[in-house]
Amino acid sequence: MNNLFLRVSIWVYLGIFFAYLLGPLVIMALTAFNSNGFPSVSPWECFTYVWFSELFQDERILNGIKNSIVVGIGTVIMSVTMGLSGALILTQIWPKLRATYYTIVIAPILVPGVVLGISTVVFWQRVNNFFGFGPDSIFADGLFLTIIGQSTFIASYCMLVLVARLQRYDMTLNEAALDLGATHTQAFRKILLPFMMPAIATSAVLAFLASFENYNTTTFTFGDYPTLTIELAQKVRYGISPAISALAFIIIVLTVFGALTNEALKRRKELQAASSGDTVKKVDGGFRLPTFLSRNPAMIAVVMLVAAVGLSAVNAMTHNPGQCIAQVQEERQVIRALEAAENLRALAERRAAAAAAREAEAAANGEVEEPAATPATPQGGSTGAFGSVFAPTNLDGAEDGEAEAEEGEAPDNPLGSVFDPTNLSTATED
Amino acid sequence: MKKGFLHNFYQHNGRVLGTALLVILTFWIGVLIILPQLSMLDYSLREYLPSGQVGEYTLKNYRHLVYGAEGASDPYNYVDLKVFTRTIVAAICVTIFNLLLCYPIAFFLGQVAKGMKLRIFAMLLIIPYWINEILRAFALKIIFGATGMINAVLIGMGILDEPFDFIRADIALYAGLGYAYILLMVFPMYNVIESLDHNQIEAARDLGAPWWRIHWRIVVPYAKPGISSGCTMVFMLSAGALAAPQILGGPSSLWFTQIIYQWFNDGGNWSQGAAYAIVLLVSCIIIVLAFMKMFKVNMGDIGK
Repeated sequence: MNNLFLRVSIWVYLGIFFAYLLGPLVIMALTAFNSNGFPSVSPWECFTYVWFSELFQDERILNGIKNSIVVGIGTVIMSVTMGLSGALILTQIWPKLRATYYTIVIAPILVPGVVLGISTVVFWQRVNNFFGFGPDSIFADGLFLTIIGQSTFIASYCMLVLVARLQRYDMTLNEAALDLGATHTQAFRKILLPFMMPAIATSAVLAFLASFENYNTTTFTFGDYPTLTIELAQKVRYGISPAISALAFIIIVLTVFGALTNEALKRRKELQAASSGDTVKKVDGGFRLPTFLSRNPAMIAVVMLVAAVGLSAVNAMTHNPGQCIAQVQEERQVIRALEAAENLRALAERRAAAAAAREAEAAANGEVEEPAATPATPQGGSTGAFGSVFAPTNLDGAEDGEAEAEEGEAPDNPLGSVFDPTNLSTATED
Repeated sequence: MKKGFLHNFYQHNGRVLGTALLVILTFWIGVLIILPQLSMLDYSLREYLPSGQVGEYTLKNYRHLVYGAEGASDPYNYVDLKVFTRTIVAAICVTIFNLLLCYPIAFFLGQVAKGMKLRIFAMLLIIPYWINEILRAFALKIIFGATGMINAVLIGMGILDEPFDFIRADIALYAGLGYAYILLMVFPMYNVIESLDHNQIEAARDLGAPWWRIHWRIVVPYAKPGISSGCTMVFMLSAGALAAPQILGGPSSLWFTQIIYQWFNDGGNWSQGAAYAIVLLVSCIIIVLAFMKMFKVNMGDIGK
C-alpha cells in the first residue's frame, strides 16, 4: 500500500518535473504554426508556415546568425587551445599548488557573465588607450572583445571535459615514444592528440553551443557585431512575434536531431562491439529492419524526425491557409463590430453616468453651502436632504437624476429649493 | 621549489611544447582572467571621465550605492539597496526551490532508473539546456502572458475570473530563473548519487529504516559535494542573470544586474557600473563561502 503510494507519487512528480521542463518549449514550438499575430495556442486560428518565411526575410536575424557563427568559431579555437593547455598543466602541476590553480581556472564559470563582460571591455579599453590606438583599432572591435570575453569562461568548460579524458591517459606511452627517439612535439602530435581527439571534439561542440547562446557577456562586448542571441533579446524585449517561435522551433528540431544522432551513433557502436563476438549470424524469420535500424530506437527516431521535417517542407510548398485566414478575419470582424457596438453603448452609458455624477456633486456642494447660509434650519426632513441625491438610480442619467431630485422635493421641506433646477445650473457654474 | 617544478615541466614536455603551454596558460590566466578583474577593480575606484581617460582615485562610486547621489533627499540609496537585497534573497530562494525540485530526479536517475529509461530521461533533460536562454525566457513569457496558456487554463477551470498578471507579480521571473538552471542543479547531484553503492541503501532498508531516513542519513550526506556545487552554480548564475529579468521581469521591479547594465549602457558611467559589478561579485562570493562553511564543504568539491 505504502509502496504503491510512493510509486504513484514518483510518477506524478516526474510528470510535473518534465511538464515544467518541456511544456514551455512544446507550446512555444506550436505557436510558430498559429496564424495569430500574438504567439499563442489557445485561440487557435489557422495552421500556417508564414512565420517561417517572415523569419528568413529578417535581415537582422540572418546577420546575427552570421556573426554568431564567426564568434563561435573564434571562441572554439581559443577556448579549446587554452582548455587543453590548462588541462595538461593541471595534471603535471606541483600538488600543493593544484588546489589554488584549480580554483583560479574554474572561477570564470562561477563569475557572473555580466562581470566578465564589463571587465573585458574595461581592460581592453585601457590597453587600447595605453598603446594610443583610436576607437577603431582591433582592441575596441566588437568581434575581438566578444571572442575574448566568451573564451575566458568557455575555456574552463573545455578544460573540465579534457581533464576527464586526460586522467585516463597512460603516461608511459609518451615515455615509450620519447625512448624510441621521437621529439616532445612529435610525441604530443602523434600520440597524445589522437588520444584526446574525442574529448577535443566534444569540448569544441560544447564551446560552440555555449558561445552561440551566451548573452550576459556578449551584451557588453558586441559593439558593431550583434550576435543572434543579442538580436533575439532585443526583439523579445520590445514586443514578441511568432517569427521568434519559428526560429525556436528550428533550433529545437536541430537540437533534438543532434541529441538523437549522438545517441544513435553511440548505440550503434555498442551494438557493433557486442556483435563482433558472434561468429555465426543469428537468423531471424519474417520481417527485418535494415541492419542500421535494428535494436536502435534512437536511429529510428532520427529517421522519423527527418521524414517528418521533409514531409512538412513539402507540405509547406502546397499548404495555403489563405482561405482559413480570410475566414478567421471575417469572424474577427464580426466580433469586432459587435464589440464596437458594445463599446459605444458602454461609452454612452458611462458618459451619462458621469454627467449625473457631476450634477449630483454640484447638488451636494449647493447643499453644503445652504446650511451655512441658514444655520437655524432644522436638518431633519422627510427623507433626509442627501437621500435622493445618492440614490443609486440617480446615476442612470442626467434627466433621471433631475426628475428624482424634483420628486424628492417636499413642499414643506426647508431645503427644497436646493433641488430647484435653476439652483443646479448656478451651482455647476461655480 | 618553483624552479624545480619548471625544470621538471620542461623535461617532461620539451622546450617548444613546454613554452607554448606556459605562454597559452599565462595568456588565459593573466590576460583574460586576472588582469581584467583587477582593471575593473581599479576602474571602480576612480572618477569617471567620459573621454575614456582615467580619473582620480575616489570612493564615490561605492558611496553612491549606500548613500545615493550627493544632495539626494533620502539618507540612504533605498532604491538600489532594495534591488540588491531583493536580488540576493530571490537568488537564494530560487536555489532552494531548484534543490527541492531536482533532488528527487537526481536520485531517481542515479539509483532507480536503468538502461533505456535512464537514457531517455537524460536526453529529455539535456535538450532544453541547449535551447537558447533567451528563447527559454520567451517560452515562459508566452505561457505566463495575459492571454497565455496558464491564464486560459485557470479561467477555463473557473479558478480565476480575469487574467492574472504573472509578469507584474514577478512569478514569471522566478519561474524563469528556476527553469533556466535546472540542469546545472541536476547534473552535479546525479554524478555523485550515481556513484553511491546501492548496497548501502539496501542495507539501511533491511535494518528497517523508513525511506525518508535513508535519504537523510545516507544519500544526502553522501551527495553533499554534488548538492553544494549545484547550489553554488545556480545561486551565482541566478544572482548574475540578466536575460531572464530583462524579458520576464515586471515593469516596476529591477534585478541588480539590470542596474549595472543601465549604468553601462544608458547611464554612461562605467566606473559606477564597475563598482556595482564588484559589489555583486564580492557579495556572491562571500555568501557562497559562508554557506560552504556552514555545511562544511570544501572548495575543491565544486565543479566536479
